[in-house]
Amino acid sequence: MEIDDFIKAIEEEFDNLNPGDVTPNSVFRDMEGWSSMHALIFVALIDSKYDVLLNGDELKSCVTINDLFDITRLKLNGGGAKA
Amino acid sequence: MINFKGKTILVTGASAGIGSAVAQLCSDLGAKVCITGRNMDRLIEVSKQLSIESELFQADLTLEKDIDDLVKALPCIDGWVHCAGIIEPFPIKFIQSKHIKSMFTINFDSACLLSSKLMQHKKVNNASSFVFMSSVSASHPYNGGSLYAASKAALESFSRSIALEFSSKGIRSNCISAALVETQMFEKTKNSLSETELLGILSSYPLGIGKPMDVANAAAFLLSSQSSWMTGSVMTLDGGLLLNSKK
Repeated sequence: MEIDDFIKAIEEEFDNLNPGDVTPNSVFRDMEGWSSMHALIFVALIDSKYDVLLNGDELKSCVTINDLFDITRLKLNGGGAKA
Repeated sequence: MINFKGKTILVTGASAGIGSAVAQLCSDLGAKVCITGRNMDRLIEVSKQLSIESELFQADLTLEKDIDDLVKALPCIDGWVHCAGIIEPFPIKFIQSKHIKSMFTINFDSACLLSSKLMQHKKVNNASSFVFMSSVSASHPYNGGSLYAASKAALESFSRSIALEFSSKGIRSNCISAALVETQMFEKTKNSLSETELLGILSSYPLGIGKPMDVANAAAFLLSSQSSWMTGSVMTLDGGLLLNSKK
């Protein structure tokens, strides 16, 4: 699991994003038009791509794309309970 | 005045939130309450709050064996409030079989199987009343809630069939279609909302969001003989939310 693939998947998912728009330090809640639907899409995307289901508390604890990547990788490697 | 003295009421999903409030109220009104949930420790905590001695059954209603064991162990009942269920929002584009199965197994299948097995084993007294917890989202969907809304719509339809098939025994079946209620489920949902979104949601309720006891009061009415001419109905409890709905 590489962060470049993670970012690419996010950029491909949202129509208003172009390649290079997202970096590991991007604050995802600052995305244009951010809403709870975006949060759901992040959770669903991670579930579909990595079979890792983030819960609300875990999502709330993340600020940057890198935070999301880290927690996903941690759970993927068995470092967190699968919700 | 509703009085459940001498009645036995089954409450599934009783370990928290609405189910816990229903168990509490039915017990306060004189019923012997049979409560089920997956977590025995939480059931014990709920049972400590009940006025009358209750029966506790640890059961995971996503497992048919647990449903079988529950039905065999239960006494005959005069009412059942089905509160077991989950909310797992998921955008349609990402839905996989596992998401459908996860949502429907507990929100819908468990109601069907438990209804069927309760009747097969003759555990339902004549003139009993079933109450299923539905949601306003069954007819007023929200983003990401497609599976939840569909499972509740299916439940409402199933309840109407029960009302029809069991009417000869005087058994009634109704649904409560609730909007947002202050439960642990809501607390979890809040984490995915921005402060602005949360305020927007809360302000859309003319009477504010509901409390578990608001729903329990309606369930007690539907369980009681006060509602003896109601069957196959869906009672909406929404604090006025839908008054402004254009749908």
